[in-house]
Amino acid sequence: MFLSGEPTRSTGACVQELGKLPCVEEVPDEQLMLAYRDGDAGAFETLYVRHRARLFRFLLRSIRQRAAAEELYQEVWMRVIEARGRYAPQARFTTWLYTIAQRLLVDQWRRGALSVVPLDLVEVEGSSPDPARHAEARQTLHKFALALEALPQAQREAFLLHEEAGLTAVEIAAATGCGEEAAKSRLRYAMAKLKAAVDDG
Amino acid sequence: MAESERDPNVSRRYRELGAEEPPRALDEAVLAASRRAAELHPAPLVPPTGRRRWYFPLAAAAVIVLSVALTWHMQHEERPDPDGVSLSEATQDRQAAPAAAAPAAKPAAEPRTMQRAMREEARTETPEKQLERIAELRQAGRHEEADRLLAEFRKRYPDYRISEEMLGKIERK
Repeated sequence: MFLSGEPTRSTGACVQELGKLPCVEEVPDEQLMLAYRDGDAGAFETLYVRHRARLFRFLLRSIRQRAAAEELYQEVWMRVIEARGRYAPQARFTTWLYTIAQRLLVDQWRRGALSVVPLDLVEVEGSSPDPARHAEARQTLHKFALALEALPQAQREAFLLHEEAGLTAVEIAAATGCGEEAAKSRLRYAMAKLKAAVDDG
Repeated sequence: MAESERDPNVSRRYRELGAEEPPRALDEAVLAASRRAAELHPAPLVPPTGRRRWYFPLAAAAVIVLSVALTWHMQHEERPDPDGVSLSEATQDRQAAPAAAAPAAKPAAEPRTMQRAMREEARTETPEKQLERIAELRQAGRHEEADRLLAEFRKRYPDYRISEEMLGKIERK
């Protein structure tokens, strides 16, 4: 279809776009959302293309079942659509989007679907001709996935918001409703544990 | 978190977990919902900008005009009879007064209430009775009332065939 575009993680610029939707790199998310609020459906599509994949991975890595992640994913976007009339760019659109996602996740966690990375689905990318090396790479990745899974919920959430959404500690604090220092602390602990897993692997 | 705290090795390893994307069906469902919502396009809860800026002044002006018109209409419709004649009194007066003396009775201030009562009464009468009333008014020289009632009659009964004899009585000569 048309939705392969995704911002680069460092700049937020659109690197690839297929099909009819233009990737309007220079238009900020907030401006696109305002345009959508005023009835421009194309503005929403551009926004959607920018954020779809990272939001989906954020949810997928935060929740146990893929089906539940897909359901949440759709729910997040429906909330965005429903709230368009009230939207005012008081913060970055990304922060607003992930705040919605995080609140839905909290509801999900309260219902008992604690997040874990589905290790069975983890596959090593690429094809090593050496089966031993392939198995080793897979084992390394499993260790990292286990470390991510073992993180306390708040730390994993902070890490995913930082890694997938590109949120700063201040924005993570806003999205999760914690203090800035708490957000920094969670992120620091998460990074330290994951770094240890990488070094160990 | 400061960007310096970002660990490229951690990020790379995290990326190796996979680059999943939402299924196409979800994309289509979300975008379809967004288009439907955009078509509905409810009035924004914040002041509109640009070309839509004229919405509010226009709406305010329309409300003011309607309010003034409604107030004026109510004042003129419900103004009490200056002579203090009630509906029932007016009807009684009209019935009791000799037909010939009627034009001179209250010429300047023919009460609106009375006129209204007559029209209301006329609406409940049979067509024949209404024609007789018009003929009476014509005979009494109250041509304006007769004309008005005749116009109402023709509007109300456009297909009613009035005899030549009656036409001679009800039409202004």
